[in-house]
Amino acid sequence: MMAEAPLLRPKLVPHSRYRWDAVRQSHQLVFPEGLLVLNETGAAIVERCDGRTLSELIESLAELTPQHPPLEEVVAFLARLRDKGLLVEAASPSEATRTGAAEP
Amino acid sequence: MSSLEQLPASAPARDIPRPYSLLAELTYRCPLACPYCSNTPGVKLGADLDTASWLRVLEQAGALGIVQVHFSGGEPLVRADLAQLVAAARRATLYTNLITSGVGLDETRLESLKSAGLDAVQISLQDSREAENDRLAGARCFLQKRRALELTKSFGFPLTLNVVLHRHNLDRIEEVIELAASVGANRLELAHVQYTGWAFRNRSALLPSVEQLERANAAVLAAREGLGRTLEILHVLPDYFQRFPKACLNGWGRMFITVAPDGAALPCQSAREIAGLVFPNVRDHSLEKIWFTDPAFARFRGTAWMPDPCRGCDRREVDYGGCRCQAFLLTGDAGATDPVCELAPTHQIIDAALAEQPAEPFEYRRYAR
Repeated sequence: MMAEAPLLRPKLVPHSRYRWDAVRQSHQLVFPEGLLVLNETGAAIVERCDGRTLSELIESLAELTPQHPPLEEVVAFLARLRDKGLLVEAASPSEATRTGAAEP
Repeated sequence: MSSLEQLPASAPARDIPRPYSLLAELTYRCPLACPYCSNTPGVKLGADLDTASWLRVLEQAGALGIVQVHFSGGEPLVRADLAQLVAAARRATLYTNLITSGVGLDETRLESLKSAGLDAVQISLQDSREAENDRLAGARCFLQKRRALELTKSFGFPLTLNVVLHRHNLDRIEEVIELAASVGANRLELAHVQYTGWAFRNRSALLPSVEQLERANAAVLAAREGLGRTLEILHVLPDYFQRFPKACLNGWGRMFITVAPDGAALPCQSAREIAGLVFPNVRDHSLEKIWFTDPAFARFRGTAWMPDPCRGCDRREVDYGGCRCQAFLLTGDAGATDPVCELAPTHQIIDAALAEQPAEPFEYRRYAR
């Protein structure tokens, strides 16, 4: 099976929420029936899945840390989140204006 | 699994892992009377925990490491303090999920739940058609549910539609999926009846045929193909038809804790079906103390309690010996291998149940006051 094209503007679905677990001292992505535990880099990526473009996301990761993860690893991580139903394609700004679907 | 994400790791055998999920059963009162209700038959209604007790429990849940709270029942909307409890759960940093029939979920309630910070809503439907839905629920509620689905969506809540599947509605699974897509649900949970609670009493009226199941499976696969990612469909298969038991609770006393309306703390919402186990109450002890020290929570934790063939089985930490309540209901011994397992010495119990003639009608869920 051919690999799917990566999301252009990865965005967390409304039912998933980033959470810091103070008891376990861990980053989590929580959704109605489960959660994923994230490391620092995973958390930094998830925090940036807000509808910005993939290239903007990767640029901002590079600014964050000099040892930013390899591009393929980020793309593969995003693909797995999408497979778990946690990421969708955000409407591009022009479409959002047209449909009035933009979130503040 | 990459370095960027991990599932919650299992703790070393000597350590007791902290729980992730709290099922807060706020009341057993419910406007519906579904014959497959998971509430335990025979319990008494009334004397529900008061607001102050729940506020205390929710705070303790956060400190214990609970991540998600599912407000359920009965019908949690019966309680006027629901929004107050949601707000308290959010203050305790919990992810909050409302599990409701949708009856009573109007603009006013949604507004107050939104302000309180509710994260997600799950609404049940009994069938895709009004007459069948209302017959199964034992109450006229279909139109209210439809309205609640639309309203919940319009308030911007993430929406899960939950439909419990059985002989009487399985043939309309395509219609159920269409309905979920048409109301804009984000997730559809198609969960076959689990035969505990009232469903165990009504088993021969609810068990589907193999042919029904095969058609339903094909319909779900086709719908997933057609809908892509617009609607996530979770399909929980009935364990009576599987080779191995379900990983009930992902292990007893491992991830889940239930607090029943009267304050009983349970490893599983059905645990009170198991005769001989005595459960602690949140009126007397903190959740922390209950989780780490209570004998009922320790009873089936880990693998040391397991009989043969579970003890030496490669799957002992995959399915944890299956469901303790089901083992008790079917064999009289909560410490037995779940008979659903094809390796269980009592597996013929399942074959016999599947060979039974379908019974009609079913008994509605009713509680004496």
